[in-house]
Amino acid sequence: MTTVALLLGALLAAACALYVALPFLREPAPAEDRLDQPGTLERRQLELAEERDRALAALKELEFDHRTGKVSDDDYRELVGPLRRRAAEALRALELRAESREERVRAAG
Amino acid sequence: MARSQSPARLVIALSVAAALAVFLLYVSVAGGTPSVQPSQLRSHHGDVALVGKVVGKATGDAHGDGLRFRLRDVSGSASVPIVYRGSVPDLFRTGREVRLEGRLQNGVFVAKPDSLRTKCPSKYTPAKRS
Amino acid sequence: MPELGRAALAVCLGLAVYAVVAGGFAAATRRRRLARSAQNALLAAFIASLGAAAVLLGALLRKDFSFVYVADHTSLQLPKQYTVSAFWGGQEGSLLLWLVILTGFGAAAVALNRRVETAVLAWVVPVLGLVTTFFAFMLVVVSSPFDTQPAPADGAGLNPSLQNPYMMIHPPFLYLGFVGLTIPFAFAMGALLARRTDERWIVATRRWTLFAWTALGIGQLLGAHWAYVEVGWGGYYAWDPVENAALMPWLVATAFLHSVMIQEKRGMLKVWNMLLVVLAFCLALFGTFLTRSGVVSSIHSFTQSPLGPWFLGFICLVTICSLALVFSRLPLLRAKTRLESLVSREATFLYNNLLLVALCLTILWGVAFPILSDAVGRGQITVSAPYYNFFLRVFGLPLLLLMGIGPLVAWRRASLRSLGRSFAWPAGIALATGILLLALGAGSSWVGLVAYTFSAFVLGSIGYEFARGTRARRALAGGSWSSAFAELVARNRRRYGGYVVHAAIVLLAIGVTGSSAYDSVKTQKLKPGQTMAIGDYRLTYRALVKHEGANATEYRALLDVRRRGHFLETLASGKNSYRAEQQVSNEVGIRSDYLTGEDLFVITDQINRNGSVDFKVLVKPLVNLIWLSGVLFLGGSLIALWPSAAEQRRLTARYRELRAPARA
Repeated sequence: MTTVALLLGALLAAACALYVALPFLREPAPAEDRLDQPGTLERRQLELAEERDRALAALKELEFDHRTGKVSDDDYRELVGPLRRRAAEALRALELRAESREERVRAAG
Repeated sequence: MARSQSPARLVIALSVAAALAVFLLYVSVAGGTPSVQPSQLRSHHGDVALVGKVVGKATGDAHGDGLRFRLRDVSGSASVPIVYRGSVPDLFRTGREVRLEGRLQNGVFVAKPDSLRTKCPSKYTPAKRS
Repeated sequence: MPELGRAALAVCLGLAVYAVVAGGFAAATRRRRLARSAQNALLAAFIASLGAAAVLLGALLRKDFSFVYVADHTSLQLPKQYTVSAFWGGQEGSLLLWLVILTGFGAAAVALNRRVETAVLAWVVPVLGLVTTFFAFMLVVVSSPFDTQPAPADGAGLNPSLQNPYMMIHPPFLYLGFVGLTIPFAFAMGALLARRTDERWIVATRRWTLFAWTALGIGQLLGAHWAYVEVGWGGYYAWDPVENAALMPWLVATAFLHSVMIQEKRGMLKVWNMLLVVLAFCLALFGTFLTRSGVVSSIHSFTQSPLGPWFLGFICLVTICSLALVFSRLPLLRAKTRLESLVSREATFLYNNLLLVALCLTILWGVAFPILSDAVGRGQITVSAPYYNFFLRVFGLPLLLLMGIGPLVAWRRASLRSLGRSFAWPAGIALATGILLLALGAGSSWVGLVAYTFSAFVLGSIGYEFARGTRARRALAGGSWSSAFAELVARNRRRYGGYVVHAAIVLLAIGVTGSSAYDSVKTQKLKPGQTMAIGDYRLTYRALVKHEGANATEYRALLDVRRRGHFLETLASGKNSYRAEQQVSNEVGIRSDYLTGEDLFVITDQINRNGSVDFKVLVKPLVNLIWLSGVLFLGGSLIALWPSAAEQRRLTARYRELRAPARA
């Protein structure tokens, strides 16, 4: 019994060690080994995208609240302007980024 | 908007102050009951929570004249006679650790009705078979 | 076979340490393959812990008494289902269950996020690895389930009070909740370590948090029901430190669920959310520590085990490191927006958070007080129900009211006029209910009356929200009322699922109020043939019967129950005397009236030699609403948890944009 148990234990340890080493065994000499991490530019892009999504979602929710009657007509008029402006700004900022990226790509090659 | 500080901070500060005030008010009015063992009873007057081990046989009727037994220090020898009226938990027996509220009167600890609680025998170490 | 178990645990420990070291190094130096390898280590750790669990389960089912653990917690006559539940009936086994769930959740979190979220995941892995290392270390070094001994003839058996179906579900649900809170914690720390400022970690863990919170809630309700029907003192919650140990993280998690919505929508409260998730996790660890260390005396008390100091040390380590991390990333967490109005949904969420955290901290103070007072030499001074009930009322009643106010208020800013319009119906319903209840005599307890009135307000506001939402949907898209309703809920799962959960909490509040503010108790000694009266009920003690069961002698007093002249049923209430364990347990008789939700609760206090019996009878109005609320709670959570295709698309689109080449 004990030998079987120890054998199984050793097998388990070996299997786990193999699985852990797998990434190195699969690619012994990869082209690049960098961890995919958003650089500062990409992080800014993410933030802007989040801003845009947040502004759009807020607009949508305001519309819904207005329709259900939670937000009165006066309140709606007051709130919708700034929200639309924010959404437009966020969209513009993202567009500008995309344009500048296009230019950089074109300039590079 | 020329507000230098978000109202959120003010709200939080006020709430913390309010909560503390409520808390201090409660503690000053009520307060916890000291948990003592039979050997410490002499120095405590007034209502206490008495903790100890049941020794000897329990006699009497908890629903009648009163259940009488002795309570001893958990790890000591000082003991005190107890008179208890009210519900008796199932786990109550000689040798078990119990807790009751009440006060010492004329050398006998008179317990508050229905205040007897037993400590569950340890779940995580089993009762060893003799 | 125990060697296999020990080996599996050792392998698990090794993998966890590797995940910490390699994972941390990989994240810091941005090595892809090493990060992947560390992820694999976490996945493998799950397999290893499963192996150890299988060994223990096998030993239990075989009744292999050469395992000390099996001998200590089972016996030859123990039925099969309780043999299985004995797995977590003891200290070592319950730690192993923790480890299995922890590695399982960790593996799932890694598997689900490895394609999308490589950067944050790189830091999440070492954090998860650290927690896994602690538990694996405890199991390997301090408290092993695989200790052996020369096998005795029979085991010690499971404590009779644990031999019931609740033992099979209550602890696992609680563990799912406790351990589940590790995942949002790990992702939060991972995001901080990776210096990320976006909300991705919240979105990734939102469902984990909801799941853990639901499991913790259901687990507590199960525990309360267990206490009610099995322990049978007439109550369902005793403010026992171990009960509080599960309540505290649940309260903080509730606050967290609400405040993350603010962070998602407005980008505010980032620091607060970090602190909340750290607090929730530390309370979950603290709860585990409380139930194992014997530091605070409670009826769940376990022995003074060697585990205590280790746990305390780990909690301190986690607290200090997380707080230091949050502090060091403070500039990143600055909010760009601010609270615009004290009358807005953001503000009500903030008030709700403050109340929940305040309640949690007062409970924590009450639990820790005996330890602290002992440490300063004044002996263990305990606080009991009056303390907790006071603060439950002070913080709970406003919370109840807020549950009704929140849904009616818009984001950002709400003008008093629109508020007035929204409040009209619910407030009217509440006022009418209050007056009606007062006329019916509910004024005997002003706390109860207030609670009922607030509950009516909340239910009114929830109903109103559903009604006007359905009406707006129908105006927009046509169709029948029922299809509009279904569409409404399907398109706003989080919001309306949340409303259902609120309704469940209100039912809970009504049930608790009814059964504590308006209950009645009576004790009386009855001889056979005598009758006692309580409320509308008349109970006549008929006879005492004795029955020799499989492992206990069962004594039952039979009582005829009548109400207003009508015979209702014959209740049996009594005691079981367990021969082997030399223990007596209370077997209460409960008559539940499903129409009114009321319970007639009969306890056989004392069986006297002259044939008379001392009974304690309680009437608990509306108590069955508490158990019903559990069902509604689960339903609402499921609605909120259900994945939404639209949301998934939006998230993947956002990430695709990042990698998207220049537009054509």
